[in-house]
Amino acid sequence: MNRGKILVIDDEDIVRLSCSRSLVPEGYELKMAKNGPEGLKMLEEETFDLVLTDLKMPNMDGIEVLGTIKEKWPKTDVVIVTGYQTVETAVKAIKLGAFDYIEKPFTPDSLIATVANVFRIRNR
Amino acid sequence: MLVNKSLQSLTGKLIFAIGTLMIAGSMLFWLFLFKYQEKELIDSSVKYGNSFVDFIKNSTRYAMLTAHGTLIQQTVEAIGGAEGIMNVRIFNRTGKVIYSADKKHIGTQLDKGSSLCITCHTASGPVKETPSWKIRKGEQDDYRVLNIVQPIYNQPDCYTSSCHAHPREQRVLGIVEADLSLELLDHSIKQQGIAITVYVLAFSIVISGTLCIILWNFVSTPVTMLAQGMRRVAAGDLDFKININRKDEIGELANTFNAMSDELRKAKNELMEWGNTLEKKVQEKTEAIHRAQQQLIHSEKLASLGRMAAGVAHEINSPLTGIVTFGHLLQKKFPQGTEDREDIDVIIDQANRCSNIIKGLLGFARATTAEKDQTNINDVLNSTLNIVKNKADFFNIKLSTNLDPSLGMIKADAPQLQQVFLNMIVNAADACEGKGTITITTSKVNDNGQDYAQVEFRDTGYGIKDEDLEKIFEPFFTTKPVGKGTGLGLAVSHGIIQDHGGKITISTKIGEGTSFFIWLPALKETA
Repeated sequence: MNRGKILVIDDEDIVRLSCSRSLVPEGYELKMAKNGPEGLKMLEEETFDLVLTDLKMPNMDGIEVLGTIKEKWPKTDVVIVTGYQTVETAVKAIKLGAFDYIEKPFTPDSLIATVANVFRIRNR
Repeated sequence: MLVNKSLQSLTGKLIFAIGTLMIAGSMLFWLFLFKYQEKELIDSSVKYGNSFVDFIKNSTRYAMLTAHGTLIQQTVEAIGGAEGIMNVRIFNRTGKVIYSADKKHIGTQLDKGSSLCITCHTASGPVKETPSWKIRKGEQDDYRVLNIVQPIYNQPDCYTSSCHAHPREQRVLGIVEADLSLELLDHSIKQQGIAITVYVLAFSIVISGTLCIILWNFVSTPVTMLAQGMRRVAAGDLDFKININRKDEIGELANTFNAMSDELRKAKNELMEWGNTLEKKVQEKTEAIHRAQQQLIHSEKLASLGRMAAGVAHEINSPLTGIVTFGHLLQKKFPQGTEDREDIDVIIDQANRCSNIIKGLLGFARATTAEKDQTNINDVLNSTLNIVKNKADFFNIKLSTNLDPSLGMIKADAPQLQQVFLNMIVNAADACEGKGTITITTSKVNDNGQDYAQVEFRDTGYGIKDEDLEKIFEPFFTTKPVGKGTGLGLAVSHGIIQDHGGKITISTKIGEGTSFFIWLPALKETA
């Protein structure tokens, strides 16, 4: 069962792995990108329902990735993953069109719940 | 030395000047008086001398007309023997002494150039026929002698008498000379001179003495008092007063001096008062600077600690995500109640604890980088309440607000304020242990002329113990169970509020609850 296609953009292997181990058993199809440019390149090639992007990354940060996605692929939802959460960056992300944000370290359940919430609203 | 000093004083100089003038004046007066008296006495002596010579001429007239030489000589001798008469001589036309009281002189011939001849004759000129007199020194040099010379004129009796001794053409027949002693006169002049000198000296002494007393009382004493007063005032004794109750210039000077020392005393007091205030102000300022410095050091410390914390937190969050995720995944593989499951639960609990510590550290990291803007406290409170409202921890807690709508704007970093308010609300909820009431009240207060916006967070919890109150704002101080609190919340809040120029105060009662008051300086309302 394929519940949806998700792209995870994070420079940390363990975060990508955590996402994959939490969400794949739930029936989501996951692809991984190590940074912003790589993720955007993958978005050029195929369509994703949801992008989980880290906020702080070398080369290109999550806000920039979010901006580009919302400009080029407005139908793709974005959830910001951040270990450096502040109210203002969260507000900024939401204003720029992010669906939600999730704080690191997250539990599999909280990640699953956030992602499920995205798809529930998408599928309405 | 003393004389020199006395002469240098004002009184000394005045006495010296006036004394010198007095003595000079007295001496001139004395000289004038003395000379005048002497002249008067000599004039009367000359007058008397001339009368005396007239008397000789008259006494011998008859004898001369009758050519009784012996009688003439006897008369001259008799007259010449009287007291005060030194000598009487009668010369003929050729300058030969023919009669003399002192017989030794009879027959002596005067030289034409002799002083006696010159009184009447010039060297070759005509004969002066007027009587003359001169004063010369006596033989013993102890008194003077008045020498009177009178010509004997040819008269009708002379050239008509039977002896026919003189022709009619002759005008002067001879000379009568008399030397009169001026001993009595000199004695009298001397006595008078002494008397005048004594009078003048006595007068000078009396005047000088009176002058001294006057000057001493009216000038020297007050001037000395003034000088003494000035020394006292110069030495700092500004209460010193000069007691001179006079209406003259000295009295006026003393009054002016007293007024001056009064003014000086007032000025000194003012200066001292000012100095004291200044000292106090400097002390206050120094303390303020010290506090600011401490705050700055603290802020710097926190900032660098914050940067490090942020870096560490960011680096640790990702591996922690792995631990939490895989912990949870493993957890599901072991049934509840087994030992393996319990071990995994411990791993997850500790990972969560790490996560909380990191959140605290991140809050700490942000405490020093405020971007202040005009902020409405009520708005920030409302948005904070929206965050917590739906959290499970607040399900059984009543959140009550009493916000003053007229509360003015403040200059603040809204996200930081929200962090503080969130801390306060979470702490209040923890204190309530899941049930009770949290009341949030905003109001305007004024302290020392400064307007503040006050936010009160009141809970109905268990209150704070006195020993905990002292340490409540210290970093890593917490009364919460291990793993529940990091002890950073209030430290961070305190830092943020201080950075905003405000303060946090606490009012608590064990068993009844606690109120946290946050004061933030209100912006001055612009018209």
